[in-house]
Amino acid sequence: MYLTRRSRWFGLLFLLPFLICFVLFWLLPLVYGIWMSLHDFRLSFGENGFVGLSNYRDLLFNETVHQRLFLATLTNTLWFMLYSVPLLVICSLLLALLIRHLPRRFKTFFRTIFFMSYSISVTAVSAIYLWLFATNGGFINRLLLDLHFINSPVNWTSDQPFAWVVIVIATVWWTVGFNMLLFLNALEEVDNTLYEAASLDGASPWQQFLRITLPTIRPITFFVLITTLIASFNLYGQTLLITRGGPEQSTTSLIMGINTTVFGQNQLGMGAAMALLMGFIMMIITGMQFFVSYMATKKEPVLAKSVTQKKTTSSATDITLKSDAEKERKIT
Amino acid sequence: MRHKKTTTILLLIVASLLSIIFLLPLVWMILTSFKTLSDSLESASLLPKSWTLENYRLILNASSESPLIRWLLNTTIVTVLGTLLVLFVDVLAAYALARLQIPGRKIILAIVVIALTIPGIVTLFPAFYLFREAELLDSYVPLIVPYAAGTLGVFLIYNFLRTFPKDLEEAAYLDGANQWQVLTKVILPTLRPIITTLGIVTFLAIYNDFLWPSLVTNEAEMKTMTLGIATLVQGSNFVNPAAMMASTVIATLPALLLFIWANRYFVKGITHSGLK
Amino acid sequence: MRTHKIFPLLLLTGLLLPLTGCGDGKNADGKIEIKFINGFTGGDGQYMTKIVKGFNASQKKYKLVQSQEKDHYTKFKSGKYDLVVIHEASLRTYQSDQMIQPVTDYMKQAKIKEDDFLTSGVDSAKVGNKMYALPLDIHPLTMFYNKNLVKSMPKTYADLAQLNEQLQKKDDHLYAFGLPSSGLTPFYLTVAAAQNDIQLERDGYLDFAQPAYADALMKYHDMVFVDQISPKKLGLDGEFQSFMKTASNNANQTAVSFTGPWYYSAVKDKYKDQLGIGPMPLLFKSKATTGNAHTIAVSSSVQDQEVKKGISSFFNYLYTPKHLANWAESGQTPSHKETLKLISEDPSRYALAAENQKQLKDYVRAPRVYQFDEQMRYMNEVVFAKLTSDRNLTKDALMTELKKATQHAQEIAQSK
Repeated sequence: MYLTRRSRWFGLLFLLPFLICFVLFWLLPLVYGIWMSLHDFRLSFGENGFVGLSNYRDLLFNETVHQRLFLATLTNTLWFMLYSVPLLVICSLLLALLIRHLPRRFKTFFRTIFFMSYSISVTAVSAIYLWLFATNGGFINRLLLDLHFINSPVNWTSDQPFAWVVIVIATVWWTVGFNMLLFLNALEEVDNTLYEAASLDGASPWQQFLRITLPTIRPITFFVLITTLIASFNLYGQTLLITRGGPEQSTTSLIMGINTTVFGQNQLGMGAAMALLMGFIMMIITGMQFFVSYMATKKEPVLAKSVTQKKTTSSATDITLKSDAEKERKIT
Repeated sequence: MRHKKTTTILLLIVASLLSIIFLLPLVWMILTSFKTLSDSLESASLLPKSWTLENYRLILNASSESPLIRWLLNTTIVTVLGTLLVLFVDVLAAYALARLQIPGRKIILAIVVIALTIPGIVTLFPAFYLFREAELLDSYVPLIVPYAAGTLGVFLIYNFLRTFPKDLEEAAYLDGANQWQVLTKVILPTLRPIITTLGIVTFLAIYNDFLWPSLVTNEAEMKTMTLGIATLVQGSNFVNPAAMMASTVIATLPALLLFIWANRYFVKGITHSGLK
Repeated sequence: MRTHKIFPLLLLTGLLLPLTGCGDGKNADGKIEIKFINGFTGGDGQYMTKIVKGFNASQKKYKLVQSQEKDHYTKFKSGKYDLVVIHEASLRTYQSDQMIQPVTDYMKQAKIKEDDFLTSGVDSAKVGNKMYALPLDIHPLTMFYNKNLVKSMPKTYADLAQLNEQLQKKDDHLYAFGLPSSGLTPFYLTVAAAQNDIQLERDGYLDFAQPAYADALMKYHDMVFVDQISPKKLGLDGEFQSFMKTASNNANQTAVSFTGPWYYSAVKDKYKDQLGIGPMPLLFKSKATTGNAHTIAVSSSVQDQEVKKGISSFFNYLYTPKHLANWAESGQTPSHKETLKLISEDPSRYALAAENQKQLKDYVRAPRVYQFDEQMRYMNEVVFAKLTSDRNLTKDALMTELKKATQHAQEIAQSK
């Protein structure tokens, strides 16, 4: 072998920059966070005594101000996931299908348009939607009034369910392009001869979609679903800036709740415990997804398998490797 | 074939309508930035009654509280340096893990995979506190360096290398090259697609990050564009949609143009890398 | 109390990189920097900036670096600042969280005496018997009105109701005034208590669950849904936003606004001569106005003698009538006697400050409880929104909410 013992130790040098960053900015904060969560830790003056698991107890089992905040903001966040994730997955798939069936010379143009808003930061998106949907004198209200869709202005940002509508629309507009691109990429890889053969056999477009398209894009659908779920769970900027958590705290997201605990109430230890629980819940959700997808791939129909194996060897294990693109995804 | 033609036309119409909906917020943003204050408050029509550059003058003059140009500069520094750092660190690490048979390789790989499954939120607040105690808030360090702790890049590149044949490298070693030369001359060129994708994904992630920079930045001077716009939304511009939109135009236009230009590389990157 | 410094030290040792900048508090031109943070992001910010600039121009040795942040408390907690503006209602919180230090030495050095301020001012800056800050201003709930729509200044609720009737006849998108759903609501919540002689503070927490208080708050509900004197659901800062609008089928406009003095420059810009200013009308039983006060405190982290001297010289500069008058020009009312005297000589220039000075005799200060803002949070974000948006709200339902809010406040008070 060309690698000597000495050169193997020398190889560690290559790893060193990463290792230093990893230990300092990931491992150390993780351990410190766990340590904090076991203490009465105040933002302003630091550690104030060991309290064991009492922060977790207060969050999970005791009716405290922290538990109410945690549960309320967790529920809000879960509602948001319920509203936004299906839309983000389905709309992006529909857009991808639409573009795939367009004549070639138009594809790039429309793809760019649908993908464009992804380059705008969450704060700018919020600024735009805040004013677009302003209650008193906003553009959308003006438009709807002029078209006689409504008789009096809608309280978009200070009334439910409209507040969620605005947040979800803003989020879909902002991020649907990224998912669309991933779908489009998978769709373009389907062998056209398969469709031709199917239509010769008299399969309707719907049957073709079910039998050929859907199985092919299953791995990417799974990837899109997971990253979208995680990104939605990290809801922060839109509700902070557009609705400011209102009306009546109904759009206050979990991260906003943690922020209030740490900065408003000075309770860094409690905030760290909340963040750890939040992380734990996210891991459970993704874990469940993997489990479901694993069970599903087991039962995969024969035709689908032959198609998927053609290009990708993607299975649950392969996706594991990629799933953490979450960290590179937005919605914060 | 006539049937097919009508379908195509129909699809084109649908796509065009959707495009209008997608573009409307952006068009509104740009047009509002040229409105007068009262015009923008009434929003009677999409087009300004009379065009004015007053808003741009206003926001560019108020440079001490909202230094837009400085924010743009900060964003550029942070995203470019951050992306380069991540790529540099990750390529080296992945190369060492995949090829150099370093001691403790298996343990490190296991840690990398475990780290992937743990969401970022759990480290944010303690990391912020550490930076505060180290008196490093309001510097570029926390805005750039922590991104290099992410394990996704290491993992993607490692996987890419693992499936790649070693013949070329072995030939290079036989020719007397050392590890560094092999990395730069042989490995790097083959890594191009994965590096492109990872680069763009990292760039977007850093560019868009809001929560982390908002924790570690206090001074107006050190804000990124994303943070700066948040300040404006919450602050005094709250009563002036026209000036607000002028600021967002300045904030989004450079990125938007860059994005339109780069999006084909992104598409290519996705196709050629593991991200599918 | 900081027993464990191990983690930060680990990070620091890891970061012995050339990246760390200069840390001796001196900037490029050799001046000693004093970092000052405040929340003046409204129209008043530019006036504070003027004072800061004036100070810097007058100094060879020191330089005040100012940050204006909407969220300045958060930033103060996370960053390293030397000087901070704190509301009187929160001063005790910061003292007990060990984030600020007494200012007695600074006052001595700057030759400032307690006597230089009104008693309400001194009171706003004291915790126990000690001055923990210097009083900057007192900002009571202020009335602005639009003279185009209001013939004579409203003094009572009956006046407002009458005004509303006239306005509604003219255009049903015109209202007398607006109640916000959130934002300035702590002012509205305390004024309802003060004008009904209700004490909210009890054993260090805010006790909202009092039947008399529920009655008072129901009156706000009735203003919107029975008397229809205010539009419903105006949202954040609605009392101000609706005052700035023009009535149309897409927008409701109000003729009067009860809001904070920091909006003075914004409303003055818009209405010029047609802007009327007045004291808070009698909405309930007895004449009173509430609000808050700004104080300037020194961070407990300030130890360096040179920085301390710099802070003293800033105080000295600030509490010179012609400098502090800038602050009065923004609409805020200083509690510094000499400055008040200067203001009364030129009432047209300092119209709002002069007007609010008269209000001070009826001023009832906010309760001093631990984490006032957090104790108020539920009332501010939930209860007040219900009052202005839920037509069917009953007193019983409100009482249930008030109990919740009180429970919340009590737990916050205990977390001290």
